[in-house]
Amino acid sequence: MTEARLVEELLAFIAAGEADEEAFNRMALAVFAHQFETNAPYRRFATQRARTLRTVKSWRDVPAVPISAFKDLTLSGRPPEECPHVFMTSGTTKGVRGKSHHPTLAVYDRSMTVNFRRRFMAGYDRLRMGILFPTEQAMPNSSLAHYLALAKSEFGTAESRYFVSDAGLDVDGAIEALSRAEATGEPYALLGASFSVVHLMDALAERGRSFALPAGSRILDTGGFKGQSREMAAEEFYGRLSATFGVPRRLCINMYGMTELSTQFYDDGNEVCPSVKSGPHWIRSRVINPLTGQEVPRGSVGVLVHHDLAHFNCASAILTEDAGVEVDGGFQLLGRADGADAKGCSMAVEDFLKAARAT
Amino acid sequence: MERAGHLPGLSADAVDWRTLTFRRGAETLDVAVPVLSEAQIAELATRVRTNARTYLRSRTVAEIAATIDRAVARLLDRDDPWRRKAERLLPLVTGYDAEMVRLGLTGYLKTFRGPELRKFVAEDFANPAVLDDFQPMPKGGFARAFGPELLLHVWAGNVPGLPLWSLISGLLVKAGTVGKLPSAEPLFAGWFAQILAEIDPELADCIAIVWWKGGDAAAERAWLTRADTVVAYGGNDALEAIRARVPITTRFLPYGHKISFGMVARSALDAGKAGAVARQAAYDVARYDQQGCYSPQTVFVERGGRVSPREFAGYLAHELDALGSKFPRRPLSMGEAGSVASWRNAEETKGFADPTRALLGDPAGSWAVAYTDAADGLSPCGLNRTVTVVAVDRLAEAVPGLAPHRAFLQTVGIAAPPEELFALAGALGAVGVTRLCALGRMTAPEAGWHHDGRFNLLDLVTMTEIEGSAERAADIFAPYTD
Repeated sequence: MTEARLVEELLAFIAAGEADEEAFNRMALAVFAHQFETNAPYRRFATQRARTLRTVKSWRDVPAVPISAFKDLTLSGRPPEECPHVFMTSGTTKGVRGKSHHPTLAVYDRSMTVNFRRRFMAGYDRLRMGILFPTEQAMPNSSLAHYLALAKSEFGTAESRYFVSDAGLDVDGAIEALSRAEATGEPYALLGASFSVVHLMDALAERGRSFALPAGSRILDTGGFKGQSREMAAEEFYGRLSATFGVPRRLCINMYGMTELSTQFYDDGNEVCPSVKSGPHWIRSRVINPLTGQEVPRGSVGVLVHHDLAHFNCASAILTEDAGVEVDGGFQLLGRADGADAKGCSMAVEDFLKAARAT
Repeated sequence: MERAGHLPGLSADAVDWRTLTFRRGAETLDVAVPVLSEAQIAELATRVRTNARTYLRSRTVAEIAATIDRAVARLLDRDDPWRRKAERLLPLVTGYDAEMVRLGLTGYLKTFRGPELRKFVAEDFANPAVLDDFQPMPKGGFARAFGPELLLHVWAGNVPGLPLWSLISGLLVKAGTVGKLPSAEPLFAGWFAQILAEIDPELADCIAIVWWKGGDAAAERAWLTRADTVVAYGGNDALEAIRARVPITTRFLPYGHKISFGMVARSALDAGKAGAVARQAAYDVARYDQQGCYSPQTVFVERGGRVSPREFAGYLAHELDALGSKFPRRPLSMGEAGSVASWRNAEETKGFADPTRALLGDPAGSWAVAYTDAADGLSPCGLNRTVTVVAVDRLAEAVPGLAPHRAFLQTVGIAAPPEELFALAGALGAVGVTRLCALGRMTAPEAGWHHDGRFNLLDLVTMTEIEGSAERAADIFAPYTD
């Protein structure tokens, strides 16, 4: 199947609105075949695990690429120089940045907009938005910058604006926008990186400011804190979010996305933490034991594997370093499965790299 | 329910207790750890300080060592109830294989018998009597060494018994001792204090074994501001947080996480010796599942012997497999499994670009050996019995690459002929390695070991000197003066 044909089929698959096991399987095998045929490093990876076009019979058989491999391998069906869009990880943990190449953003953008409308917009066509993250121009390789730019252009009103620039966080601008929303009663949406939201809350607290945003207002945060700001437990974070902006916790929505995916997961608010995350019909997740690759019994903690059909040019099945547990309606994220809980005094990889970078 | 800690003078009913639950297979153990109020902390600190001043200071080092020796003897006696309890509960709490814990305890405790304790003291003090009384000094005058009145240990980690090292060091310099239990193994230190209480209750009143939740700023501050000296173990982030709360006038002795490795010279690689060398290296890797700072994470193997580095990696894999049956690895948490998996994944991925790399061991197995021909240098593995064999033309070539990691280097387990041993030791010491030992002994430092190259006892004391002038001046004021 040509790439153009595959893109067409994927857009139709997304448009179909739902997919049963069989339909998902069919599409997944077509995407796997495309990746196996066009992407030599992926083919080597799959073959080494004895997963080939002949042996892979179900989407569950498609070998999942560990996200660390995006740093060492060029996982792209099209030659990288032909891909105008490259999203890179922030490189927070290993220093080297993982890359996802996109020959077109048609599927990425469709995946984002269809899902965002359903999970965040709740019937609104457009909302006035405040974005707590740099623009796409400032961060051309950030998938999150692109995601937020898309949210603003497709779902934001003309008055929507960014509150983060080279000059840092525009606290005054944010206060003005929030006050205006309070005064006019027009629902407002605040979207951004979790750590920027923390910075804004800290700045507002310093000035003794809090808001009661109008009914229908909502907040989207994403990304966790990654050492950019002090760690806050989810419970404390959403409690504070709700108190600062006057938005009920069920409308404080967390998006879980990755550079190595073209689709995002959302929860239905954070009244209870950890919340339940789920994605649309073109992405499926499994919870596995990272050593055996076997699925863990339902309800047990394991590491998340995501199978995102929209990530067609790279590797649609990825093995994350996120711990999670399968529950009714989706999965719960339980932090990172990276040995941060190591018990001994033996130096672990993360510390070693951190120290090596510091010197 | 097992009650942890040792709180002289505080009744158990007056204290809040928090339960830590440990599971191993179908067995569970609840451990109650004390949560002290600020007032209780103040009371305990004062009591330990006062008792140390009046009782410990009045004892000689020899008397204190004799008491410790008796306590250690009980823990070495397999029929003693304390020993039986340790053998039963420590595997449950730490997850380590029971036989490994039993052998480990015996090997470790042996280094604290009476004669070994004398080595401890002699390592740091040419004249141990300086801890008991003023002693004449070569430069003239007299000097006496005083330990801190209140020494706080912040312990970490789950290697059974590890707190004993600094606890005993403190007692040997007559320090009033407060130890913070590690949540991962909250029992052993308290037991030791209780055994001491059965032998010498007054001495045990100079020790408090406490607990607070890691990061509990209020409790931590309350203790840190009351201590004269603080010894702390943990990762650098944890140590930095502690240091930020230690008053500038308090001596702070941090012991951070370290990385250790093995070195095998070509002369150790003939057909007759290589097997034994691999067995010893495998033992160092398997013992306490590489949780110790002295556990090897990489083994540099020299080319040019009868057995090639690649073959040695195979030997090592074979020995790890055998040890896996004898001392099964403890069940891993999901985080630990994730850490092993990402190390394996990274090794596999590198193998695509470099076919000389190899990864031995089944993903679901309890060990893995990576092999590389590349001049890769030192890198941490995934822990829990995972190790990288790096082939080098000459062992000395591996040394310059270690220099950037100076602050983290600790033990080198080495198999090399005498001349090379000393030549390498010079180079390794210069880049920051503080301990060289035989392979197979990496996880069992000898008595009196200078932990991370420091002086276990000397670092704790201050010297009080009577200068010659005072002595001479005193003469003038003597009643017998003319």
